[in-house]
Amino acid sequence: MELIVQVLVSGLLIGGVYALISIGLNLIFGVVRIINFAHGDFLMVAMYAAFWLHILAGADPYLSALIVLPGLFLFGMLVQRVIVQPIQEASANMQIFATVALSLILQNLALIFWKGDFRTVQMPYAMLTFDVMHIIVSVSRLIAFLVALASILLLFAFLKYTFTGKALRAIVEDNTVARMMGIKVERLYLLAFGLGAAFTGLGGILLIPFSAVYPTVGAPFTLLAFIVVVLGGMGSMGGTFSAGLFIGVVEAFGGTFVSPALKEAIYFGIFILVLLVRPQGIFGKGKGTEEIGLK
Amino acid sequence: MNANRLKLLGILLLVATALVPVFAHSRFILHMFTLIFFYIALSSAWNIPVFGGKMSLGHAAFFGLGGYTAAILYVKYAVSPWIGLAAAVLVALIGGAVMTLPLIRLRGPFFTLASIAFAEALRMIAIDWRSMTNGSVGLNIPFRPGFAQLTFQSGMPFFYISLLLAVVVVVIAHKIRYSALGYHLQASASNDEAAQALGVNTKKAHFIAFLWSSGLSGLIGAFYVFFIYVVEPNLIFSLTLFSLQPALNGIIGGIGTIWGPVIGAIVMTPLGEYLRFYLGTIQQGLNYVVYGVVLIVTVNFIPGGIISLIKLKVLKSKGASGSVIKTKEAA
Amino acid sequence: MPILSVRNLSKRFGGLKAINDVSFEILHGEIVGLIGPNGAGKTTLFNLISGILTPDSGDVILEGTSLKSFSPVKRSLMGLGRTFQIVRPFSMSVLENVMVPILARDPNIARARAAAFEILSLLRLEQYADAHPDNLTLALRKRIEVARALATRPKLLMLDEVLAGLNPTEISENLPIIRQVRDQGITVLIIEHLMDALMAVSERVLAMDQGALIANGTPAEVTSNECVIKAYLGEEDPAC
Repeated sequence: MELIVQVLVSGLLIGGVYALISIGLNLIFGVVRIINFAHGDFLMVAMYAAFWLHILAGADPYLSALIVLPGLFLFGMLVQRVIVQPIQEASANMQIFATVALSLILQNLALIFWKGDFRTVQMPYAMLTFDVMHIIVSVSRLIAFLVALASILLLFAFLKYTFTGKALRAIVEDNTVARMMGIKVERLYLLAFGLGAAFTGLGGILLIPFSAVYPTVGAPFTLLAFIVVVLGGMGSMGGTFSAGLFIGVVEAFGGTFVSPALKEAIYFGIFILVLLVRPQGIFGKGKGTEEIGLK
Repeated sequence: MNANRLKLLGILLLVATALVPVFAHSRFILHMFTLIFFYIALSSAWNIPVFGGKMSLGHAAFFGLGGYTAAILYVKYAVSPWIGLAAAVLVALIGGAVMTLPLIRLRGPFFTLASIAFAEALRMIAIDWRSMTNGSVGLNIPFRPGFAQLTFQSGMPFFYISLLLAVVVVVIAHKIRYSALGYHLQASASNDEAAQALGVNTKKAHFIAFLWSSGLSGLIGAFYVFFIYVVEPNLIFSLTLFSLQPALNGIIGGIGTIWGPVIGAIVMTPLGEYLRFYLGTIQQGLNYVVYGVVLIVTVNFIPGGIISLIKLKVLKSKGASGSVIKTKEAA
Repeated sequence: MPILSVRNLSKRFGGLKAINDVSFEILHGEIVGLIGPNGAGKTTLFNLISGILTPDSGDVILEGTSLKSFSPVKRSLMGLGRTFQIVRPFSMSVLENVMVPILARDPNIARARAAAFEILSLLRLEQYADAHPDNLTLALRKRIEVARALATRPKLLMLDEVLAGLNPTEISENLPIIRQVRDQGITVLIIEHLMDALMAVSERVLAMDQGALIANGTPAEVTSNECVIKAYLGEEDPAC
């Protein structure tokens, strides 16, 4: 019984980070309407940046976020401007391959510059754990969860209460009308991509204490983010958050009780199940499901 | 250059290619040609659902299912490779059905993403299911040369086997493209809702296209395993080698056309090998960076691929034909 | 037995009742017009009948068979044809466009080609057989849309604004097609904004406003109907 609660807690905590990464995808997709195959690679870029800042300048990875995240924000805007904007009018299928190409380039540039070795950052204080009613909670996971939660709430507030946030939501609802209302859509695309990249990068930094850094570390997260977003229901921030936690828990249980190697196969199986049974997602409001092709 | 002259040229080219082993005995050359033919076959097989607008990046799944089936049957159960081929096709077909039924409703990029997940899941299962697949270690095909064992001393047999395979797949793709199925796939890609309103069962069309595509991919995978004498999860289910590469070939050659994947494979396979051996030894990963750049350039500037460049030249020499009346649609 | 029977059809989008308890019948061989101000729900009604949308309540019955739970594909195969207001030609030649529905019923390419050519000739489109729809005028594309729908061998053909966006010459060229279609033995239900055109060709007219059917009669009866006039003028009348 204790084991079950332990696994549950671990899963929930990591789920927070998954939610963070997926919300980045939700934002990019909702606003720019492009499936970014290089999404997970933003995570990788942030992790390497934090790693090298640590090696070269002794920076604490969490603190390096102050530099890395604005950097990721700019990088996201760059990607939107250089790679995505030129093909905004192309068919969706062709857009895929531009971001696939980006993913290939990013992963292999990392391979060229920094080799395939697994790098780790020693963070002694983050390895601490404490005991809550016989459940062991790791500090790094707790920090990850809390920071993720705080960021998501901040984003939510931004979207709900600021003018720019409302403009973003307007674009999500109806791109054409938003444009006609005078909203500078192209500029907001840049913002959305930048924000999405920064959020994903933050997720990467939060993972550093317990994950190695290597060129393909981000790849599984692209798929994961997609699964979380569909599971939670497109267009629903709360849904994405809950689904992120859900996937975290499923992965934890799958890894512990079935097989560590198969945990991805397990949540992919759940994804298919949901597609068959409840395509609008567990918490789906139904928004955007027609675009994916679900009804 | 009318159609008949082109056909003649094509046949001459085919005959010339078939005569290569007579003049060139270098193992390297035969190996290169064989690889090109394998990729022509796989790229053309990938291209079949593309007629309907569905671009899978998970074809390694079918390729690998076919490869593993034939290998496991031969190595563990001493089943003749030739029977193993049939079994490979069957298993790959099942894989195609399993992937397509739930996922086909997803549109464009989402389907592509889901197809990647499918192939990755299979790769992980192959790594984990040690009792069946021998895990990451993989299985080795013992070297017992003989036609019945699909193993050969010289490179010639596989040259001709893969050439035949390539021809067969391209012919099948051509037949599909100009059949009722082909028209329905195109209609669905153009406007799925309108197609359905006209009575076209588009879901069924995509499903059948994927059955063809997956079955053929499995067959190719099974042959491939006997060509390279080994099967292991990260190779046979490789995203880059057998999912991305055929798609790349198709896009660069000319997406959705019959000859696009063929041209793409002919151009990219030697290029890829060169990049891998020369640039790759200088710097691992450089070849993929080059691929990525070529892909971005193609998508941005030549979305129709090499074929569209050729068509442009042909059109220019023919001159404009037919009336072209363009009016603005009423608001 | 009427060819089409619509019974108490209702559909809501969020808070908006788009179709409100609509019932009517269409008899074999009729040409029935459907009019109503913008937003009345005419195209929504078409979408419900052709199966693209599912109603919240009510039923659509084609020649005695309820279409409930039948997909648009199935309904088309049962003889329900339609065109779309915003034309959607496929990215292929005009002839191939018309071949597509024929192939869905008989996969033989040669026969489909011949049959498609016949339909094109019927609508005086044969010279455009190898042209690409993108290069043609709107009037021609609308005719191609009708040709394609005819290729489904429908019993009932629903035309959605086939004359919208055309100039008077084009209208007078395309209008006779509607009667041509009926003379082939096909019942026609037509949405059209252009009153003169609609009244000239329809034998009976249904009028809608805000999702409800407000009149059902001959063109003369409907045009003099007070509620219909008020609907078009934008006047509200609780008695309607």
